[in-house]
Amino acid sequence: MCIGSLARRAISFSQETRAFFFRALACSNLSLCFFFSISLLFSLLDQACRTMATVAMVSSASALLAMLNENHPVLKLHALSNLNTFVDYFWPEISTSVPTIESLYEDEEFDQRQLAALVVSKVFYYLGELNDSLSYALGAGPLFDVSEDSDYVHTLLVKAIDEYASLRFKAVESNEAAAEVDPRLEAIVERMLDKCISDGRYQQAMGSAIECRRLDKLEQAIMSSDNVHGMLLYCIYISHSYVNRREYRCEVLRLLVKIYQRLPSPDYLSICQCLMFLDEPEGVASILEKLLQSGSKDDALLAFQIAFDLIENEHQAFLLNVRNRLPDSKSRASSRINPPQPSESVEHETSGSDSAQNGNAGAGSATVAGSVEDVQMTEGAVQEMNPNEVAYAEKLAKIKGILSGETSIRLTLQFLYSHNRSDLLILKTIKQSVEMRNSVCHSATIYANAIMHAGTTVDTFLRENLDWLSRATNWAKFSATAGLGVIHCGHLQQGRSLMAPYLPQSGAAGGGSPYSEGGALYALGLIHANHGEGIKQFLRDSLRGTNVEVIQHGACLGLGLAALGTADEEIYEDVKNVLYTDSAVAGEAAGISMGLLMVGTASEKASEMLAYAHDTQHEKIIRGLALGIALTVYGREEEADTLIEQLTRDQDPILRYGGMYAIALAYRGTANNKAIRQLLHFAVSDVSDDVRRTAVLALGFVLYSDPEQTPRIVSLLSESYNPHVRYGAALAVGISCAGTGLSEAISLLEPLTSDVVDFVRQGALIAMAMVMVQTSEACDSRVGTFRRQLEKIVLDKHEDTMSKMGAILASGILDAGGRNVTIKLLSKTKHDKITAVVGLAVFSQFWYWYPLVYFISLSFSPTAFIGLNYDLNVPKFEFLSHAKPSLFEYPRPITPPTTTSAVKLPTAVLSTSVKAKARAKKEADQKASAAEKIFVEEGSAGSSSGKVSKSIEKNGDSMQVDSPSEKRTEAEPSFEILTNPARVVPAQEKYIKFLEESRYVPVKLAPSGFALLRDLKPTEPEVLALTDAPSTVASPAAGGSTAGQQQGSASAMAVDDEPQPPQAFEYTT
Amino acid sequence: MDPRLTEVSQVFERFKAAFTRNDIDTCTKLLSQLKVMLTEFPSLPPLFKESPNAVHELTLARDIYEHAVVLSVKCEDQDAFERDFFQLKPYYTDTCGIIPPSPQEYPILGLNLLRLLVQNRIAEFHTELELLSASALENPCIKHAVELEQSFMEGAYNRVLSARQTVPHETYVYFMDLLAKTVRDEIAGCSEKAYDYLSINDAKQILMFSSDQELSEYITEEHPEWEIKNGFVFFQKAKETAPCKEIPSLQLINQTLSYARELERIV
Repeated sequence: MCIGSLARRAISFSQETRAFFFRALACSNLSLCFFFSISLLFSLLDQACRTMATVAMVSSASALLAMLNENHPVLKLHALSNLNTFVDYFWPEISTSVPTIESLYEDEEFDQRQLAALVVSKVFYYLGELNDSLSYALGAGPLFDVSEDSDYVHTLLVKAIDEYASLRFKAVESNEAAAEVDPRLEAIVERMLDKCISDGRYQQAMGSAIECRRLDKLEQAIMSSDNVHGMLLYCIYISHSYVNRREYRCEVLRLLVKIYQRLPSPDYLSICQCLMFLDEPEGVASILEKLLQSGSKDDALLAFQIAFDLIENEHQAFLLNVRNRLPDSKSRASSRINPPQPSESVEHETSGSDSAQNGNAGAGSATVAGSVEDVQMTEGAVQEMNPNEVAYAEKLAKIKGILSGETSIRLTLQFLYSHNRSDLLILKTIKQSVEMRNSVCHSATIYANAIMHAGTTVDTFLRENLDWLSRATNWAKFSATAGLGVIHCGHLQQGRSLMAPYLPQSGAAGGGSPYSEGGALYALGLIHANHGEGIKQFLRDSLRGTNVEVIQHGACLGLGLAALGTADEEIYEDVKNVLYTDSAVAGEAAGISMGLLMVGTASEKASEMLAYAHDTQHEKIIRGLALGIALTVYGREEEADTLIEQLTRDQDPILRYGGMYAIALAYRGTANNKAIRQLLHFAVSDVSDDVRRTAVLALGFVLYSDPEQTPRIVSLLSESYNPHVRYGAALAVGISCAGTGLSEAISLLEPLTSDVVDFVRQGALIAMAMVMVQTSEACDSRVGTFRRQLEKIVLDKHEDTMSKMGAILASGILDAGGRNVTIKLLSKTKHDKITAVVGLAVFSQFWYWYPLVYFISLSFSPTAFIGLNYDLNVPKFEFLSHAKPSLFEYPRPITPPTTTSAVKLPTAVLSTSVKAKARAKKEADQKASAAEKIFVEEGSAGSSSGKVSKSIEKNGDSMQVDSPSEKRTEAEPSFEILTNPARVVPAQEKYIKFLEESRYVPVKLAPSGFALLRDLKPTEPEVLALTDAPSTVASPAAGGSTAGQQQGSASAMAVDDEPQPPQAFEYTT
Repeated sequence: MDPRLTEVSQVFERFKAAFTRNDIDTCTKLLSQLKVMLTEFPSLPPLFKESPNAVHELTLARDIYEHAVVLSVKCEDQDAFERDFFQLKPYYTDTCGIIPPSPQEYPILGLNLLRLLVQNRIAEFHTELELLSASALENPCIKHAVELEQSFMEGAYNRVLSARQTVPHETYVYFMDLLAKTVRDEIAGCSEKAYDYLSINDAKQILMFSSDQELSEYITEEHPEWEIKNGFVFFQKAKETAPCKEIPSLQLINQTLSYARELERIV
């Protein structure tokens, strides 16, 4: 009855409204379409109402319920089936009679028990009692139709899958057989999965199968899909982002590897990624070997690509394992023949027209490919060997070079050196404005310099300001020396000779200060971070040969860095001996160093360290050990729970603090709910501010795989009354959103940069710089604001030292690595980069110990596209960035001060405002000319627009106040041709396109990083782009590549001071 | 004409014949047969499928259920009455546009009201009443029930009892008899609260029993907790004072402590 009246009301309403709309329609034909669609909708509604009104409708289910009580079974059945039809309307009435229907279900003699169960299930569903509803739905058997498209069925299916997943999970947890699982439940879930598969909804099927731990169904879903490769990639993705338990994830991945191998055309890149996660070096080694042996050049390129991809994940121990498992090239080479030289020399001849630099480069790669001594040894060896063998040995040598990281480090170094665009004026401004006596700001400036030039080997600033530099004494001297390590980071061959003047002189009690000696050892560690094969022995000897605690400190840190994650027992013992001297300074470093050595091994050493932490009196040692213990459980997830429990329950706040780091590192990037809950709990309930701060900070590590989440989760904490919590919140955002330029993150940090408490400002400034690194002003105008804010803080005489230091460090991070690096905690394949995470974790310790700031250099990764040919050289190759060049260009160099530093501020403002105006105008212009400007035509566009972009680059370089802004009023092209190797910032990656007619085709369509290029015209002579860095410097005129031009006047003035890695010269002579 | 419909009509004729003969056994047997047959007509509630014979079918079904209700009164079977009435009700409420109203509608609705009164289900009684239109309330059958309820509520039990003489329909007699018992239960409930004890004579008079025998039977049956002693009926057993509630001290302490703790933790 009430429904009937409702329907009638609806009709009258709709008629009125329709009339209104038609009138409206008559008045205005502006939004004709809109009104038309509305009126159509109403006519439909109207129709629906009319059908409802003519066919009468029962107003109550009481009749049917009464009929249920009849004696005759036919009547009961009739009532029941009608109730099933009407339950959607009358469930409130039926709910009171549920016991009657339940008794029907339980009545063994009643032949329609399943129908009764279905009705009850529906009623419970409406009542929100999903558990009861599900159990009755199970009772309904086949009557519960999984394919029905109703809310009831959808909800219950979700519930059923959840239930089943949790049962399966429990069964696995308790290691019991899955006997407890209701077979009916299993049947429903299976029916559901089968249906998904048959309907072609493979992704859903895979997701549910993984959730339910039904690997058999997962396999079935993948195999029956039409796009097996896509599905496998999707599966890898979800197993990383949604499978929380490590063991189970391994199981899934193992299955995937199995499927991959069965495919007719296996995707070796993905297989190797899986195998790396599973820590199975044998598998990777055998795949690489197979590819190398096949003889085809393409396969070899693929193998090299795999090796580069593996390198990117920075898993040193694993890479060493793979390398050792590959057949030994030396044994082959010494007995047969190896030298890659013949082929190299052939290349020399073919590309004879080029300058001698190409020869240099080729030779440079040769040194890496087949180690120098080897070549010389076999120089006169027999030449008449099987050419296949020769090629194989050569390839083997190359791949070992790649796996050892030498190739990638060398190329990165060259890239960073040649593309260095750091702005020395920023440093100069800072240097001038910082008071002489303020040693904190003084050394902060040194840190900033080191970070700005990380990996570029440009130490002009230091050389120009030796006087100023010499004001650093004691620990400041230590960190000033260590800073050289950051600048020369990756300079493997030259590292030791560079640091030689500062290193402890063996034997003679040299006059060098222990601080600079310690710093130099630390610097060596930074140079060789994660690739310390060559330097380990030296560092060990230095450690043993001294008992000055400052040197021990440096040596411990250096060893830890160089032998990161290798779990080398001997080194561990050496470091432990230092620890047991119970010296606060050396012990702290020893604690961290032990952790670095044992990263991610979850070894029993942790309990040893814990025991000593309880014994010792020195807080510094305890803190070092606490962090060390945390590092040992890196990435172990659940395995680490016992240790975490032990640490977080400790009486000592410093150990609880270590516990926070343990959670952070064990669950790094998993976004594990349990870990987040635990951290949030400690963030609000611990009595120690240090622990609270760290707990919040640790959230950043747990969430870095999902940076969008972090600002939301910590937003409340960032408004806490407790400054330590606010500080933690700032850094958490900084860590997890590092390098993303995420808008929410910036909005959250902005108010914190003007917090009332000085150290919160410090943290917020640093975090902001981490978030904004490599974000250009064109992408987010707040970057410019932030730069000006930093400048203001540095110049402000009354600013607190703490926040001043933050601002100085922030300017360093913002322009890190000559602006060609970003902070990245995830590799492109979404694996965590162990070095980077560890680097940031130790970096966050700078709160207690400033020299640890340098650890941030571990998390830098160059933003470059470096294409390599078969000889692992960098050929000239062009590709397209389909976006406005201004979006991703380098930040404009700041204007040189005309008179005093005070003038700088207004000029900075001027240039941007002019630019903003220009951009507005430009956009208008561009719209008009866009049609002809965009895609000029692929072939000719290459040369013509290449010129345009080059000329623009020149404008940018010619540091004149007015000319850039004026010239830029002309329309900006909507794309840019980049030349290999090129700077490709993360935000730019999606705009990268490869030209179709290009001579080279990348093996893997990667927009950044190392990419092997397949040469389509192998017979033609190759033009190489990137030559060895120092040779460019030696003859700046020979700028055949854009690299020379891009050098820019900023750094050109002092490049002559550059140390020149001599190998290239030695070799070519 | 649909053969099933003819069959139903024939069975119904036989039922009516038995009904007039007061042959109750045959009636119930035929009735259950009829009900099963009715389930085959989709035009009946709750489906209301449109069919050429819908009007005929609906009328027939309504007639059958009306008879069923009356039969249940004759059998003095209250459960059956309730069942049949509910099955009949959709024909009154939901078919108004399709078939003409039945002359039996108001007597049967009144009968139902009376039943609710007898069963002392006052809330439902009023719910039913609210659903009726103003004109229906004027109908003598309904009016009778409403007046009865008013007297019942006022406590004018004598008026209730005397109303037996003025029943508007012969089927009402059965319920009127039952009503007397309902009244007695009410009185018993009230006196239990009002008095500690009563003399047997007074009790007999109040509860409208003619002999001591009946009174004691009633007591043993309905109120075994009453006690007959020395010519008095004692009620006090029923009057157990509920123990005053204890203060949940532990719970309160816990709560306060947890508040204090939470205050400490405020971020």
